[in-house]
Amino acid sequence: MAEFKEISPNAPALDKVTNWFENRFPTAFDAYRVHMSEYYAPKNFNFWYIFGSLSLLVLVIQIVTGIFLVMHYKPDAALAFGSVEYIMRDVPWGWLIRYMHSTGASAFFIVVYLHMFRGLMYGSYRKPRELVWIFGCAIFLCLMAEAFMGYLLPWGQMSYWGAQVIVNLFSAIPFVGPDLALLIRGDYVVGDATLNRFFSFHVIAVPLVLLGLVVAHLLALHDVGSNNPDGVEIKGPNAPRDAAGHPLDGIPFHPYYTVHDIFGVSVFLIVFTAIIFFAPEFGGYFLEYNNFIPADPLKTPLHIAPVWYFTPYYSMLRAITSEMMYALIACVAAGGLFGIVKTRLPALFKAAIAVAALAVIAMMLSIDAKFWGVVVMGGAVVILFFLPWLDYSPVKSIRYRPDWHKYMYAIFVVVFVVLAYLGVQPPSKVGERVSQVGTLFYFGFFLLMPWWSRIGQCKPVPARINFVAH
Amino acid sequence: MSETPVDTKKIDSSKRTWLIATGCVGAAGGVATAIPFVSTFQPSERAKAAGAAVEVDISGIKPGEKLTVEWRGKPVWIIRRTPEQVQTLSKITAQLADPESKRKRGEMTPEYALNEGRSIKPEFFVAVGICTHLGCSPSDKFQRGPQASLPDDWEGGFLCPCHGSTFDLAGRVYKNKPAPDNLEVPPHMYLSDSKLLIGEDKKA
Amino acid sequence: MKKVLCSLIAAFGLVLGAQANTGGIAWDKAPGKTTDLASLQNGAKVFVNYCLNCHAASYMRFNRLKDIGLTEQQIKENLLFTTEKVGETMKVSIDPKQAKDWFGGNPPDLSVIARSRSAAGQGSGADYLYTYLRTFYEDDTKATGWNNLAFPNIAMPHALWELQGKREPIYAAAEGEGHEGQEAHVFKGWKQITPGTMTPAQYDQTVADLVNYLQWMAEPAQNTRTALGLWVLAFLLLLTFCAWRLNAVFWKDVK
Repeated sequence: MAEFKEISPNAPALDKVTNWFENRFPTAFDAYRVHMSEYYAPKNFNFWYIFGSLSLLVLVIQIVTGIFLVMHYKPDAALAFGSVEYIMRDVPWGWLIRYMHSTGASAFFIVVYLHMFRGLMYGSYRKPRELVWIFGCAIFLCLMAEAFMGYLLPWGQMSYWGAQVIVNLFSAIPFVGPDLALLIRGDYVVGDATLNRFFSFHVIAVPLVLLGLVVAHLLALHDVGSNNPDGVEIKGPNAPRDAAGHPLDGIPFHPYYTVHDIFGVSVFLIVFTAIIFFAPEFGGYFLEYNNFIPADPLKTPLHIAPVWYFTPYYSMLRAITSEMMYALIACVAAGGLFGIVKTRLPALFKAAIAVAALAVIAMMLSIDAKFWGVVVMGGAVVILFFLPWLDYSPVKSIRYRPDWHKYMYAIFVVVFVVLAYLGVQPPSKVGERVSQVGTLFYFGFFLLMPWWSRIGQCKPVPARINFVAH
Repeated sequence: MSETPVDTKKIDSSKRTWLIATGCVGAAGGVATAIPFVSTFQPSERAKAAGAAVEVDISGIKPGEKLTVEWRGKPVWIIRRTPEQVQTLSKITAQLADPESKRKRGEMTPEYALNEGRSIKPEFFVAVGICTHLGCSPSDKFQRGPQASLPDDWEGGFLCPCHGSTFDLAGRVYKNKPAPDNLEVPPHMYLSDSKLLIGEDKKA
Repeated sequence: MKKVLCSLIAAFGLVLGAQANTGGIAWDKAPGKTTDLASLQNGAKVFVNYCLNCHAASYMRFNRLKDIGLTEQQIKENLLFTTEKVGETMKVSIDPKQAKDWFGGNPPDLSVIARSRSAAGQGSGADYLYTYLRTFYEDDTKATGWNNLAFPNIAMPHALWELQGKREPIYAAAEGEGHEGQEAHVFKGWKQITPGTMTPAQYDQTVADLVNYLQWMAEPAQNTRTALGLWVLAFLLLLTFCAWRLNAVFWKDVK
């Protein structure tokens, strides 16, 4: 048994109770100190740093509202749509819980996209935070799976046909595709079997994985300390500390950032509740109009689009037409040539590169563009995992990068938004061209980053953070 | 934390002010948010509709007959007592555990059933046909006189097959039986001489 | 750089124009307000009398009509026709097999029809329904004898024809090619063939009430929702103010 901390019998009752717990569960108290009251975070967090806390808040909102929805929802193809209307009309306050959950789903993606963008801007994915970033990308993947499966549950026309289309994408994989799609669906078409397993994944499996990943994400972050908008390491070997050893550029997370986050949360809640109470459909983006029609396996709606948060990737999928394949083959060829001519790798590696490039080009010529669309769509998410090893800039934060880098990031945002918008629209000739260009830019931004991130004159990075007293 | 030359007492008190203010407003918000969630536990409109009052046409019941209807998933008996049966009610009070329905008044016996016949009209007795012991449905034993499991001076009533509790024709439980209470009289009212509404009464 | 941006903006504009139009004329704006109880009550009456014969509204309970100012007694006397109880939902009278024989399929459930018919760039579901219910015309090339300008070739007959009477659309020749290589024409207006029991203005008002009711029925909690929302936002503004001051008072001592 560990040494118990003594406390005077005259101490106040509250202190004695605290002492009782601390003697028996010191982990909790240590955790509070390590992660809250003695976790020193940089003083100069700005607006972009609220989105991490907001992501956690929205996760909690989704779980709590989800728990209450499951009390009334029926995961049966014949009853699901009706059970959602039952929640909206017959369950006291059911409509509010439903809207919180549907708005929360979209809010989750808004908040997570902005959170990721912060990481992109300030180099939060760079050493020593690569693993924090990787956990984050895994969370993003799980979130997409969670949202996709959750969307099937209302069993509306969009739910059904969206799921049908996406599961059919898996059938595009050579050799194993059709069997894989059959395995996922549990039937020849999306049906009750699919609904039940998606329900299980959405309610239990993926949330548990998400929670585990979020914990890992936060613990890994706290192990190495938070980044900041200046990209200056406040706990580095040369960082100044006070007499107690605390970083001079840092402040304890609690109470300074707990109080700061309370403010941020209040502002978020204003926007969140404004949407819930005044525009829960949000122009058909958060609750799609077609989804108010019960699923009909015999009738496809005129225009299927995935929910807005998937549309950037959907655009990329649609952009890979047989014409686009030639552009992609050219890119692979260029990449292969670059690897052979420009790098200083041993001959064996260069031979391997040549062989690989030729093999890939052969596959691209023989396998359908449909399959490569899936590859590109998946690749667009997977490439994020590699970001820490693609960025060769000597400087972390965009603040000290050459000015033209800011334009690169701005164009990246514009491209992402345009791809998202095009994904919502029905296909068109112009849309196709624009999404093809956008897809090339998106991948070029990442794949060519080892080159472009080194171009230009960086500004001198300060030794201390830029903090202006409030 | 760095030192500040400002008056620490003033800062501390303003911190406390805003902590309390935000705390109170936040707590009020928390309670207000919890209310809808907890309310979702209440019976939904569907449950309330399924549990709605049942209209029964009692014109077809002959004297001495019993009609059973379902209300909120439970069997409700409507017995048209004969004048003789009504007479016997006063004779057996000594054998009853709670002849005046003093126990759980209001819960088992509404105001208008606090009489010997435990009913609005002496002719018609309305009760939930569930034994107050462990929930079985007692069997009809309207025939008078000695029978198996019944006393020799049996005047008619009900016998629960599960553990042997007996009730008279006003649903009152006999002494020394497992059942503690008289049969529940549900809220009910007469819409007309032939229409009985079970599940609602005049004060609703 | 500028060229790229300009072409992006141009692309936006072109794509915006390529909205999916499922055929049919542009929609008029539905005039109703879901806070107008008299309109909703009238609409409920029209709905129960004309629509429930073929359509169901199986998620709508009769006793929910108390929310638009009707008493249970009024509901029972005026709106319950079969032996339904006031707590029951608006089920349909038609037999699904007969429906398939007569119309080629089951008339859709109307509980959330007003939410399902909204279309970005065209209008709300209520706008569509308001237009749709006023643009029927006789067409003996169709099985039901009716066609519709807002939803061409729909299988539904004009349920309200007695009120509106029979009308014929008037077209004028237009420039360019029309649908499927036929001569282009532009809808110009209506010609009344036989009168209905209502004047056009009365009919439009009735349809407005009916559509208003459908809009309300699609989400009966909507009026509560918006009313409550104001209070919630007011509260949150107060909370945000307190949180802002609380944050400021802590960060004042950070140098």
